[in-house]
Amino acid sequence: MSPRAADIATYVAAILLAALFLAPLTWLVSLALRMPQEVYLGAARFVPESPTLDNFVQILTDRAFGSYLWNAVKLCALGAFGAVVVATPAAYAFSRMRFRGRLPLMLAILLVQMISPLVVLIPLYRYMDRIGLLDTHLSVIGVYMALGVPLAVWLLKAAFDTIPPSLEEAAAIDGCSRPEILLRITLPLAAPGLASAFILNMIMGWSQFLVPFILLTGDGKLPISVAIFNFAGSTSASTTQLLAAACLVAVVPALACFVALQRMIVRAITAGAVKG
Amino acid sequence: MADRPYLWLLPVALLLGAFYVVPVADVVRLSFSDATLLRPADSFGLQSWSVTLGADGLGGILWNTAEFTLLSVLGLQLAGLGVALLLARGDRRGLRGMTVLRTVVLAAWVIPGIANGLIWQMLFSEAPFGAVNSTLALMGLPRVAWLSDPGNAMLSAVIANIWQGTAFSMIVFYAARSAIGPRLYEAAEVDGAGAGAQFLYITLPQMKGAILVNSVIVTIQTLNTFDSILALTGGGPGRATEVLSLHIFNLVFTNFDLAGGSVLALVLVAISTVLTLIYIAVLAARR
Repeated sequence: MSPRAADIATYVAAILLAALFLAPLTWLVSLALRMPQEVYLGAARFVPESPTLDNFVQILTDRAFGSYLWNAVKLCALGAFGAVVVATPAAYAFSRMRFRGRLPLMLAILLVQMISPLVVLIPLYRYMDRIGLLDTHLSVIGVYMALGVPLAVWLLKAAFDTIPPSLEEAAAIDGCSRPEILLRITLPLAAPGLASAFILNMIMGWSQFLVPFILLTGDGKLPISVAIFNFAGSTSASTTQLLAAACLVAVVPALACFVALQRMIVRAITAGAVKG
Repeated sequence: MADRPYLWLLPVALLLGAFYVVPVADVVRLSFSDATLLRPADSFGLQSWSVTLGADGLGGILWNTAEFTLLSVLGLQLAGLGVALLLARGDRRGLRGMTVLRTVVLAAWVIPGIANGLIWQMLFSEAPFGAVNSTLALMGLPRVAWLSDPGNAMLSAVIANIWQGTAFSMIVFYAARSAIGPRLYEAAEVDGAGAGAQFLYITLPQMKGAILVNSVIVTIQTLNTFDSILALTGGGPGRATEVLSLHIFNLVFTNFDLAGGSVLALVLVAISTVLTLIYIAVLAARR
């Protein structure tokens, strides 16, 4: 095959694959824009005859949905922030200090991720119940922090590694202590790394279902992921267009955040994946 | 200036200790008890192990788990490798617009697992509005029982999982492919090796490590997640798509069988641990 023909084949394959991967989301959009009676026409009415935004209006003006969205933002932002704060000193120590057990400890932190959240949630449910934190956002944020901390440590360590120690040495000569150096010099320079660790953790938290599903019961406290699952259980075929709109509302914030910051996120994941 | 690294590690140690080490130790304790979700342990023994491991349905659950995991991992690797190599080729030839494919594949990845299950339920739905079936009908093909037939339901769950998870394998393989020096391919070209031979004798052997590492990570991820299955089939029809993690969830939070759930949670951890040891061995061998 000539390079030119191979290029064309590459494009054809890429377009087919992209269409395949895009199909589920376009179907979701198609359903969400339909009138109830059009839903039953299936694929024959892929492009609705008179697209309507009524379904979105109905979902977004529902006060409960507003609170689900707000809860989701609150839980994943605070969880991600907490994970980054807790991970920072450890990542700094792994990056700058040489001590016994450094590599095994780093590996251990990575391997923690191999344990399913389900396993730790079994006893955590009882602990939270005993200390009265069941059905509180605090308990969920705590678990999110723990789930996110391993990734945050690794991403931040990689970010600190790229900052030349010579900058810190100058400050040390001026009499700054380690914590001062970290706060005044290293952290501002590592801002992109901090941001990508925070955002990746937020996206992970946004996707979380199991933790809030188990730890929260009050409807007013649920994040959107749990809410759409409950909503799906309560809807019938005649409200499929509403479910599609609700799903889109749950998916779009993460998608938008991701598309806007794609380059940064891919770089962060690649750094992690290549280093193992 | 004396560094005290362990002090710096303390916050992480406390957090992971409270949310991982203590709970996992407690799961071990609970597995030997007779505790339920509503009642603390009274007595300890091996009974919950023998009852849980001897339960009738367990064989089927493990079979489902193996089927779901193996098919998913195979599909995820093939899809990830295919997309990664396509992207790499586009890069080398300076083809424009190939990043659209990357964006689209990655977009599926940030979709919450629970939404993934709901979306695919709308696609595979056997009602008139099911996307796949109504498309088949438009083309004059027979409809398929995607979710109500046990065998198809498993396949549907695997497809949903592959759609969402391909991105991770793609990133790993793309990075690995980019790390192969162009010299190898140039030399092969001089020797007259075609595209197929180059793939077999250069690309695959050079990416062996990445493929091994990726299979372990993806296997563990697949074993540990069940939110998309929960939303797609709920484990049904019957128990046809009830995998181990979903079964543990049901056991503990629906049947309140804390002891039995703990036994199976440890089985899940044991499987992940064995896979992790393989992962470490592979990493060590590559150093």
